[in-house]
Order: sequence, then C-alpha cells, then structure tokens
Amino acid sequence: MFLEEIEMMFMEPCVANKGVRMFARMSKDISGLMPYLNTAIKNATYNKDGNTLCFTKEFRLITLYPEKVAMAKALNPTDAWQVLDWIKDTINETYENRDSIQPSHERRVGVTALDFFEWLPRLNCGKCGEPTCLAFAVRLLLGERGIEECEPLLTTEYNKLRKVAFDLVSALGYELPESYNSSVLERSR
Amino acid sequence: MLLFNTGSDLNIRGSFSMRMQVYLDNAATSYPKPEEVYEAVVSFMREIGVSSGRGAYRKALEADRIIYEARRSLAELFNVKDTKQIVFTSNATEALNLAIKGILSEGEHVITSQMEHNAVCRPLKRLEKERGIEISQLSCLSDGSLEDLDLLGAVIRPNTRLVVITHASNVSGTIMPIGEIGKICNENAVPLLVDAAQTAGVLPIDVEAMNVDLLAFTGHKGLLGPQGTGGLYIREGIQLEPLKEGGTGSESILETQPDILPDKYEAGTLNAAGLAGLGAAVRFILLQGVENIRKREMELTAHLLDKLRENDAIRIYGPDDSEKQVGVVSINIGDHQPEEIGYVLDEVYGIMVRTGLHCAPCAHRTIGTVERGTLRISLGYFNTEAEIDYTVQALRQIAQRGVH
Repeated sequence: MFLEEIEMMFMEPCVANKGVRMFARMSKDISGLMPYLNTAIKNATYNKDGNTLCFTKEFRLITLYPEKVAMAKALNPTDAWQVLDWIKDTINETYENRDSIQPSHERRVGVTALDFFEWLPRLNCGKCGEPTCLAFAVRLLLGERGIEECEPLLTTEYNKLRKVAFDLVSALGYELPESYNSSVLERSR
Repeated sequence: MLLFNTGSDLNIRGSFSMRMQVYLDNAATSYPKPEEVYEAVVSFMREIGVSSGRGAYRKALEADRIIYEARRSLAELFNVKDTKQIVFTSNATEALNLAIKGILSEGEHVITSQMEHNAVCRPLKRLEKERGIEISQLSCLSDGSLEDLDLLGAVIRPNTRLVVITHASNVSGTIMPIGEIGKICNENAVPLLVDAAQTAGVLPIDVEAMNVDLLAFTGHKGLLGPQGTGGLYIREGIQLEPLKEGGTGSESILETQPDILPDKYEAGTLNAAGLAGLGAAVRFILLQGVENIRKREMELTAHLLDKLRENDAIRIYGPDDSEKQVGVVSINIGDHQPEEIGYVLDEVYGIMVRTGLHCAPCAHRTIGTVERGTLRISLGYFNTEAEIDYTVQALRQIAQRGVH
C-alpha cells in the first residue's frame, strides 16, 4: 500500500451547525502524486507552486498538502473519519493506476452555477423545492441538492438534456444515486 | 472444555478441582471470546480510557478512531454502504425498541411472526395500548418455520408501516427466509426490521441483497464481543424518533437533538471499552469469514442433533436440521422439568445450559412448550465435538436415572 495511514491530529467539534473542521497527517509525502490526483479528482484545483490540491466532496471542503489533509464542513466526527478513509483509498487507487493516468499540472477553472443552469429544463416549476432553476443550480454546485431532484429532467421529453446534465454532474465528481444511474440509462435507451 | 473426565459419573460431584466446565449457553452470551477481544477492552481501559467525540486532544481522537473502526467493520460485515447509518445501542433489545417505537405512529399496522422474542413482542404490546397500533402475526408451524410466506403480501395493508421478524428463533433456532421476506416488503414499500440477535456474526447478512431496512443486532452473542454493545442499521431515508436525547459532543449549541446520524440516536457517553472489544471481535469474524463460522456451527449442530436423536427419551423441538437452524437446540427429556435437568447438568456435570421460557412465550406457544418450557443447548464457534458427546452422555444418564 502506498499510503499506509492518515492520522487525525485535530478535530474541532462543530459549534453552530457549520460542520466539523479537522486536519490529519499522512504517513507519506504525496507531492509526486498530486498531478495524477489532479486528473483523477475531477473537480480538483491544483496549485503547483503552493503544492496543494483543493476539491469538494459534496459539501465538504478538502485540501491536500504534501503530508497533511485539511477538511471543513464535515457532518460530524463519524463523517470526517469516513471521508478520510475515502481520501486514503482515492490516493492509493490513483497510485495503483498512475501508469494509465495522464498527469496534469494545469489549474482548472472552477465550474459555476451557470454551467449547470445551462442544462436544466429552466421551467422554474418549483417541484424541487427551490424558487427557480438558477437557485437549484447553485445548491447543486454546493452539493446540497442532487440532480435527480429535478423532476422534469427525468421525463422522456428531456432525454438529451438529461444525458448532458448527467455527464456534467458525474464528471465533476458529484455522487449520483445508483438507482438513478441505472434508471437514467434505462430511460435513455 | 477445561478437563475431560472419561469417568463422567455421579462421583464427580464434590471434587471441585477436577470439575470440568462445558458452556452451552452461547445464545444468551457467547463465551469464551477471541483473545483479541479481551486485549482490546483492557488496552482501551488502561491506555486510552477517555470519552469519544468529546475532546480535541489526541487521546479523545484515538477513542474516536477506535469507535469509528468498530462501526466500519460492522458496515463491512453487513454490507452497509454508509458507515454513519449504523448507530450503537447497548444491545439488540435497545435497538429493537428504538426501531419499533421510533417508526410506528398512532393507528398504524405492523406485521410480525409467532416466533418473536419479548424484545419485539413487549414494545409492540405497549404501542398497541398507547398508540393504538394494530398487530398481525404471521402464523408459524410447530418447527418454528413460517406456515405460508405468500400470506405476507396479503396481510400488508395501506397503513402497514413495518414488518418486524426474527432472523432466527432463540428458542428453536429456526432460520427465517429474510431474503424472500425482504423482497416482498420491498415490492410493497414497507420497511423491514430484522431482529438479528441470534444471527449477526453467525449467518451471512447483506442488508442490500436481503432488502433489510433496519437491522437490530447485539454485540455479545454471535458477534463475540462484550455485553453492553449492540446497534441498529438504519437505511438512509428512514426517519426514527430518537429513544433518548442528550449530549452528543456535536452541535452543542442546538437545544434540540442533532439530525445527523449516528449522533441523532447516540445521546450520552458510549460504552467505548465495550465497543473497542466489539471492533476487535468483528475483525476476528471478518478474518475467519462468516461462511466458515456458519460451516463450523452447522457441523457442530448436526453432530449434536445426530447424538440426541439416538435417545428415544429426548424430544427435539425445531427443524431438527442443521441447514435450517442456527446452533440453538431446544429439547425435553421424558416428563422431567427442564429446570431440574439444568440443575443436575450444572451441579453434577459442569454443563451450562438455559432452561425455561427463554423470554419468548409466543414462540413457546407455537412449538407447544409454553407450559413446561425447554432445555436449550446453544453452541458457539469454540465448542467441540467432545463437549457435545460428553453432554449427550450426561443427558442419557439423567434420562436413565432421573434427576433425584
């Protein structure tokens, strides 16, 4: 195993519904792997000079340093531990597959809510509980809503839109429920 | 077995130093535990010993990590995708109470079976009185199996909120077809609560493949952990009213219980030493493989049933088939009271079994033993064929000579 351990060094219990902040130390320096992780983690922003990689996992904000992980907005301690496990697995998998990954040194421009908005039905129907499609797009970007919550998008009328929206969402590393995944493929066949 | 005395006759009485011990009450609490479990409990108490989830110092984080790892190991064992969905309780009884009282509201309907433990029956009876819930029981045959699984679909009504069923009976050992029940519940969009007190760690459980929405388990039986540990898996999206409110170490500014699992249902300081032991126990089970544990327990159960069948005076209840039951075997001998036999087994032979009604009167009614109860022999992973032979030999002597 490339990275044996990520050891939690500090966890600040959340005080006012803002989530848990923590940092942890890694048992190995991952500087050399950063460009590969930059490719593997679709929504990452790589800072070559600072040697950091920032990304979100849903609503959680994560920064990887050469030998450190910082995380904010984790739901609770259990959530923080679970995401640390995921980070460790992602690092180890990226290391395993590094021969087939094209390393990237570029600093990606972040996606905005407007990019999501482009691919929504834009009916402002309110079925998702948001006042407008743009509001929905903003919360989608923050990881607070799931693309499957847009009901019209799931109808046959929006087959084409749905495929693009689906690809965009998954390309950015947001999780999609498995059932949605298969049902989308079913419907678009 | 500490000592095997081949002259196992009544003359053993009194010679305490030569006394052998055979423990066959694993359905109550498994014993002994894997060495790793003792080590984990003691080293937690000596070297860490602090509260989890409460402090920013390193030791508190270490306590936190140990509890997280116990949770993660259980998630792996039951194929739970999101570790947060497992909440710790002090045993299966508390988990069942949380699930049953947390989900059922005024006037709703619940379906259960005629083989349930009091940990299911009593909370339901209380809600029948207090919340006017309606209870339907799926009828079972005298071997403890469901009479007709297809009836389940027919019994489900629009107001059916829950199906709660044991995975295996603590009286007869009978295994229920959870996968098939889960399929029917899933088709009818009724959540399924499984009482896995007798099966967690002993039978493979996959909450996804079996469509289990709520899984109540205890740490001190098949999972080989300490007493005072257990938990409930709650499928994402199922909202339960907490049984208790209090400190969680998170979102302390809120005057109300936090909404996020596992904290929502884990008010108060956890049994961290116990959970350290449970974590070690589950890792032991994962290393051995549940399939291998099941295989070994089936061998032992088949051996016990074969030996018991040789004696006509012994009446075996339940399926009498190691494929269809866990290592729990209920018997009676002639007209003897099971309590008397249990006393002689312990006093004369050093054999520990359970006698009586086993906290499940409705199961006893089903198998026809509610008057007398049964003598229950329950095997564990660490029992041996020699211990079984010795026990059956003792039963044979008792059947011949009587208990007095």
